[in-house]
Amino acid sequence: MARYEYGGDEFIFVELSEEMGLEVNFQAMAITEKLKEEELPGIVDICPSNASYMVRFNPDEIHPDVLIAKLQHLEETVSIDDIEISSRIVDVPILFDDPWTNEALMRFRDRHQDPNSTDLEYAAHINGFDSKEELIKAITDSPYLVSMIGFVPGLPWCYQMVPRERQIEVPKYVRPRTYTPERAFGFGGAFAVIYPVEGAGGYQLFGTAAAPIFEKEQRSPDFKDSLTFPRQGDIFRYRSIEMDEYEKIRETVEKGTFRYLTKDITFKPKNVLDDPKGFSEDVLGRLYA
Amino acid sequence: MIKVISPGLQTTVQDGGRIGFYEVGMPPSGAMDKYSYTVSNLLVGNNENAATLEITYLGPVLEFQEDALIALTGGEIPPKINGEAVPMWEALSVKAGDRLSFDFVKQGARVYLAVAGGIDVPVIMGSRSTYTLCGIGGLEGRPLQANDQLVIGADRLHSVQAGARVADELIPLFSKKHEIRVVLGLCSYRLTEESKERFFSIDWSVTPEANRVGYRFKGERLNFVEREQPFGAGSNPSNVVDLGYPIGSIQVPDGVEPIALLNDAVTGGGYATIATIISTDLNKMGQIKTNETVKFVSVSIEEALAARKEEKDKLNAIKEQLYLGTGGVINE
Amino acid sequence: MSNHQKILAAIPGIFFRKPSPEEADYVNEGDVVNEGDTIGLIEVMKTFYEVKAESAGVIESFLISNEEIVEAGQELAVLNGQSK
Repeated sequence: MARYEYGGDEFIFVELSEEMGLEVNFQAMAITEKLKEEELPGIVDICPSNASYMVRFNPDEIHPDVLIAKLQHLEETVSIDDIEISSRIVDVPILFDDPWTNEALMRFRDRHQDPNSTDLEYAAHINGFDSKEELIKAITDSPYLVSMIGFVPGLPWCYQMVPRERQIEVPKYVRPRTYTPERAFGFGGAFAVIYPVEGAGGYQLFGTAAAPIFEKEQRSPDFKDSLTFPRQGDIFRYRSIEMDEYEKIRETVEKGTFRYLTKDITFKPKNVLDDPKGFSEDVLGRLYA
Repeated sequence: MIKVISPGLQTTVQDGGRIGFYEVGMPPSGAMDKYSYTVSNLLVGNNENAATLEITYLGPVLEFQEDALIALTGGEIPPKINGEAVPMWEALSVKAGDRLSFDFVKQGARVYLAVAGGIDVPVIMGSRSTYTLCGIGGLEGRPLQANDQLVIGADRLHSVQAGARVADELIPLFSKKHEIRVVLGLCSYRLTEESKERFFSIDWSVTPEANRVGYRFKGERLNFVEREQPFGAGSNPSNVVDLGYPIGSIQVPDGVEPIALLNDAVTGGGYATIATIISTDLNKMGQIKTNETVKFVSVSIEEALAARKEEKDKLNAIKEQLYLGTGGVINE
Repeated sequence: MSNHQKILAAIPGIFFRKPSPEEADYVNEGDVVNEGDTIGLIEVMKTFYEVKAESAGVIESFLISNEEIVEAGQELAVLNGQSK
């Protein structure tokens, strides 16, 4: 049963499930998508998140209890079998185990579970991998669903489309870092993220994304219409790259000519839930076709 | 133009906020004390959403390079023009060459300076508000610095005479002890009953970590109900599967120190939120200083809506006074 | 003639007598300062504000300790200004 909660007089928070899963994320997507289509008066923001969603509204235009009744009705009537998701498959190049990330994380060993190893080594160990290379392979083998955007502008929470037993799970830092480099690739709970801008953070740090996901100058074509790149429902494939490719990508980013490799896709939640492995292979096939 | 001689501690351009982009993780920014902010604009006849300067704790020194109509509202950081004390909550006329400066803060934390026409900076995603974390909005995405030049815009709707002022009963008073009303909920089920009770019964003191992003409080440790953590949530008992944070929501990372998230806060994350400050009292939060104390008071949604209406009625009363001439107080 | 002046805190926060934990105090009691010399820092909102002597003189005493919490307008130190 979903929980409906007032977030003061301007927000309704709906927790669909306490635990994460692809199905619940699709459900949040389906309900919020339907809510958008209804164009109710007084709705300010509709924010789907991982296993919940949130609506900001103007109570002068719609009473919170009227809104809750509406949302409950959507919960009962909207089925993930009815929706089709139109989004993008995106190739996201990551330089794992890079010198900048390692320099940053070594500064905060006193806030980490295991002060004697790097975040990658620690995560590989607790997830039962023999080496960090094996962990990197698991991270990059299957694509991720962008299940939520937030924290800071454009940060994508990414949930890997593999069965539960193959999900990688890591704790957050014992105490958050005061510094995380821009474009750091991190992992916390069951989620992979890219930090859009420099700042505080508590996720384990594994590498650096070569290309930005937030660009306030809006120089490159991917940012022409928006300061942020990721969209909820996107499918991200994290691809491990070497330093020479990283440097080449950085050059194009500096010149403002970088463009993500993307392919449009329309899919049903059922396609993913019934056969995650087949869906992943299909996605990667289309992306690099 | 207005020239910045010295910037004060943190003076930023703020308007009604960057609304409608929460979904992509963009917080609203905007004036922390919306009541005082709105009144400052009303006093100079501006569009209610015009950009003002938000002055925090320590005032700037500003030199006007053209004649202007201005108004100062908010906490009490006593203003002076050319060294002479001038009133707050009143439309003031300044001449080219006049210098505006401030004494030490007496009550409250933030002052709004509205200039007839508004502060003209580029509009980013529908707002002129400064969001320093990402360096967007305002003047180059940052607080003011010495030698900055601010352009006065044309965001004005009404003509108001210098000397028009707000009736005393509509001017908020600030003290050092505050009651902040919240609606309990969100993930409050994660706190033990005893900790829920303690949250409302103790005086929380505001730490130096209190800014536009959020306020952190010191008091005592709160405890979470023991459980096996749900999949994806992370291992700390204060962790939940990452979710959206309402503006004004309060979280207690690791149970140690509650944090109230405000205008420039993160929009989501993995900590259990336990209550949300009602929109009316977010204005009060913006006037609370480090070292002051806060008691949280639990209210129902209907009480929150009633408080909201009361505040709206006050703003309407001010509009009537200023624009319809019915009982407006004009100084000699 | 002695001329006692109080140096006040312009903002609330935490008062520091040294620029960083590893460094020496800005000034000690009995030290001579010039107008504009920094005598301490106040930290608030992750910002450090320098407290300066408004005139030249001798720092007679500090009224609060290192890392103590201060209110806006609170007296921080007594300066014995030079008579002119």
